[in-house]
Amino acid sequence: MNLRIVVFFVIGLFIFLLDTSLNSQEDSRDIYISDQELTSLLSAWKSQVGRPPSDEEIVNIINNFVEEEILYREALLLGLDQEDRIIKRRLAQKITFLKQETIPDEPSQEDLKKFFEQNKNNYFVPTTYSFSHHYFSKENDAKARANEAFEDFQTEGIELRGDPFFLGKNFYQNSGDEIQKNFGALFFFLIEKLPMNEWSGPHKSAFGEHIVFVKDISAGFLPPLEKVISSVQQDYLTQAQDEAVAKYIDEIRSEYSVVINPNYKF
Amino acid sequence: MKMSKSFIGLVVVSTIFVIYASGFYTNFQTDSALEIVDFSIDAPANKNRAPSNPDRIPLYGDLHVHTKYSFDAYIFGVTATPYDAYKYAIGEAIKHPLGFDMKLREPLDFYAVTDHGFYMGMIENYADTSSKMSKNEWTKPMHNLNRPENVTIESLGDRADLFSSVLTEAIIKPYPYWHPKVWKAWFTNNIQVALQSFDYDVHKSAWADVANAAEEFNDPGKFTTFIGYEFTTSTDVEGGNLHRNVIFNSSNAPIRPWTRIDSINPEDLWTWMDGLRDKGLDSLAMPHNSNGSNGQMFEVETFRGKPIDNEYSEKRMRNEPVVEITQIKGTSDTHPLLSPDDEWADFEIMDKRVGSRPPTYSMPQGGYVRDAYLRGLTLEWRGQGNPYKFGVIGSSDTHTGAGGFDEDNYWSKAGVLDGTDFSRGSVPLPQDRIDQLNAYADVYDQPISIQEINGRTYSDVGFDQWSASGLAVAWAEENTRDSIFQAFKRKETFATTGTRMAVRFFAGFDMESIDLDSEDMVKNAYAKGVTMGADLFGSNDQAPQFLVWAQRDKLGAPLQRVQIIKGWVENASGTPKEQVYDVACSDGLSVDPVTNRCPDNGAKVNINDCSISSDVGAVELKTSWRDPDFNPTIKAFYYVRVLENPTCRWSTWDAVKAGVKPRPDLHKTIQERAWSSPIWYIPEPNEIDIIPL
Repeated sequence: MNLRIVVFFVIGLFIFLLDTSLNSQEDSRDIYISDQELTSLLSAWKSQVGRPPSDEEIVNIINNFVEEEILYREALLLGLDQEDRIIKRRLAQKITFLKQETIPDEPSQEDLKKFFEQNKNNYFVPTTYSFSHHYFSKENDAKARANEAFEDFQTEGIELRGDPFFLGKNFYQNSGDEIQKNFGALFFFLIEKLPMNEWSGPHKSAFGEHIVFVKDISAGFLPPLEKVISSVQQDYLTQAQDEAVAKYIDEIRSEYSVVINPNYKF
Repeated sequence: MKMSKSFIGLVVVSTIFVIYASGFYTNFQTDSALEIVDFSIDAPANKNRAPSNPDRIPLYGDLHVHTKYSFDAYIFGVTATPYDAYKYAIGEAIKHPLGFDMKLREPLDFYAVTDHGFYMGMIENYADTSSKMSKNEWTKPMHNLNRPENVTIESLGDRADLFSSVLTEAIIKPYPYWHPKVWKAWFTNNIQVALQSFDYDVHKSAWADVANAAEEFNDPGKFTTFIGYEFTTSTDVEGGNLHRNVIFNSSNAPIRPWTRIDSINPEDLWTWMDGLRDKGLDSLAMPHNSNGSNGQMFEVETFRGKPIDNEYSEKRMRNEPVVEITQIKGTSDTHPLLSPDDEWADFEIMDKRVGSRPPTYSMPQGGYVRDAYLRGLTLEWRGQGNPYKFGVIGSSDTHTGAGGFDEDNYWSKAGVLDGTDFSRGSVPLPQDRIDQLNAYADVYDQPISIQEINGRTYSDVGFDQWSASGLAVAWAEENTRDSIFQAFKRKETFATTGTRMAVRFFAGFDMESIDLDSEDMVKNAYAKGVTMGADLFGSNDQAPQFLVWAQRDKLGAPLQRVQIIKGWVENASGTPKEQVYDVACSDGLSVDPVTNRCPDNGAKVNINDCSISSDVGAVELKTSWRDPDFNPTIKAFYYVRVLENPTCRWSTWDAVKAGVKPRPDLHKTIQERAWSSPIWYIPEPNEIDIIPL
């Protein structure tokens, strides 16, 4: 019985000695800077400043790195990393990056094609409208005047005349966004449905009523994948990364339980 | 050693003296600031441009935007680049230093990044601990200043202190006279090179990046940018703000901005701009925050205290055709003390000198646009020319790259310093912030920056006087750099407080034949009259007719009234006078001919949720007007002011969103507005008249 306890301690001692001897190198006060680390330091500097560093600057970069490393190790010895919210946030960020990086760098052509098909809307070049209009101000009985003018025009061929409009009478290749900016959201939804090459109305905008003549519609189109391949690739990666992180959190979350003081007053 | 140094000094001084005395020095000295660089980039031309519109369209923009390259913006925690700023202008969301998204309600038509020319790009360089500059002891407080973990609300105190102490004399120190850089500075006429805290390469590359961003985003027909910067100068004694933004009408720009290190005298800036113009590069300078200039912006004498003369007036007007009348740091139309009979004068008044510490009162006389127009007429009456015959624009002066123009979507402009409601003073401070501000004031020997109002504690650093304002609007044929630039030169511009209302203004002697409701109205008005920014020359003692037309912002409040503001000086005495006329009222109301005022249209604001009356106000207001007090022999200016129905001020919105009561001592509502550039009436010349500018 006693022997078993002794054996237990001997094995424990053996493991302890083995561990300390094997890890002795890391405890020393050497700072080893790998080639890779140097390359990344220098290229980070270059990408920020836009030119390679001079010799003097290289010395500075390395000195900064060394100082940071020393301070970092001393801080660890003092246990300053415990319960620090910024460090926690940073570590959380790092594991997020780690999970993001598990995605293969180069998505296959097949993947991209599928992604493009699923997200067509994002690559659509919008329809533009070229049109003219006659405006009837909300300040002056817009609806009735517009109706009358339009009726006169249709039945008796009297020239259409309205009020002056701040942006003029003719609009050239306005996209939906531009039409909304110029007339309000309501008007855009109307103009989408109008017939081409004939006067119609009156149609309501933020400013009054309009009789409209659509001259030309450049239909929106979906450019072929080759034309937008680089942005598709970018978007594919972003989405894949987001998904990977979300999946990881979902998986791991169930293993945790959260306890909050039920009596806490918020 | 000491001997030899003074010996070298003697040689240097005598050499310089000989060179000077012999008059040959001009052969050695080159003017670095007059070197022009082509910053253009190859971009495919937009083939689908809308045809240009001879009746002109209103284009909305901001000509006053700071990014991380401005010394103060970097201290405020801003890391947004000029590229980010332009992305914001075309409608994308960018990040505020405190982490939230900033996004425009609708994209803008033009935008100019105008970082402080002075020390452009340098603070970022001090913060980078691998830079040569960062080895200097005094850069330490700035090391790694804007690393993500350092941009926090807790850093507010340190940043405020840095802002008030950075670039003081200790830092702006020249090398000793024998240093080669001092020689270089002299030979190239580039004083900043001789400063120990300055790295010319860093400065030039920041400026090149500003220019490159402008070139990359300039998209003729769709979106316009200008290469530009801010000339940040002030009078040397009382710190009278004389800031101006400079923009260039080209892809070419000087190799470096001309800054207050070259000269603190704005007249030297104009000389430099004239020099560039002689070399084919046109530019204009736009003064701003005259309200915080302690009356120095529109002085009746020159910078050096000499009388203004015709030459000065012409030079100023050649270089400064437009002035910023409104921005975040308040509105400079007029002041209640200057215009006691104008009920709308008490609007977003910022009564402190810009950047003063402790905040110091700024004298209104000489600091407001209406007063400047009157001073200009007085100077002209005395035969000194009119240096104040400018048009108006608005702009934001944001330091986050993103202008905040809407009362309900406002982040002020100083990054970490005023990015939260409590730091702007609109809601009470949380207890830990009170302690922090007190400790900070103590440590840095700063004025107390909190105040008690009705038993609650608020921040007191002046941000409560700032505004969600303003926009520059140009009447241009098309959205191109040149078309917009020419509108500024013609002064065919108006300013708004951030609202996208629009205003037309014409004057002439045959305007009555124009049908206000005709689709050809604008075309006829251009043909028969003059528009905003122009002179109307008297003819046979006739009274002119004015044509005003204003349209609401479809997403803002409806219009309440349109006013014409008239100013003149009496012929006999030169006494300045002003008068505000309401000329068009909403809801079918008419102007009382005795008081010249519209009756109240009854528009209301609910302070609890900021909702407004939906049934009153106008979509557009249009009228033709005659001056009832017209005197054909008196020179006068007329400009339009358009007022919206009242809406909540940003400080009320902040309180509503935070679920607290609005601060009792602040205006709870405002009336968003637009101002047109004036039309000047010039009487027919007689023998004693002065030829107008």
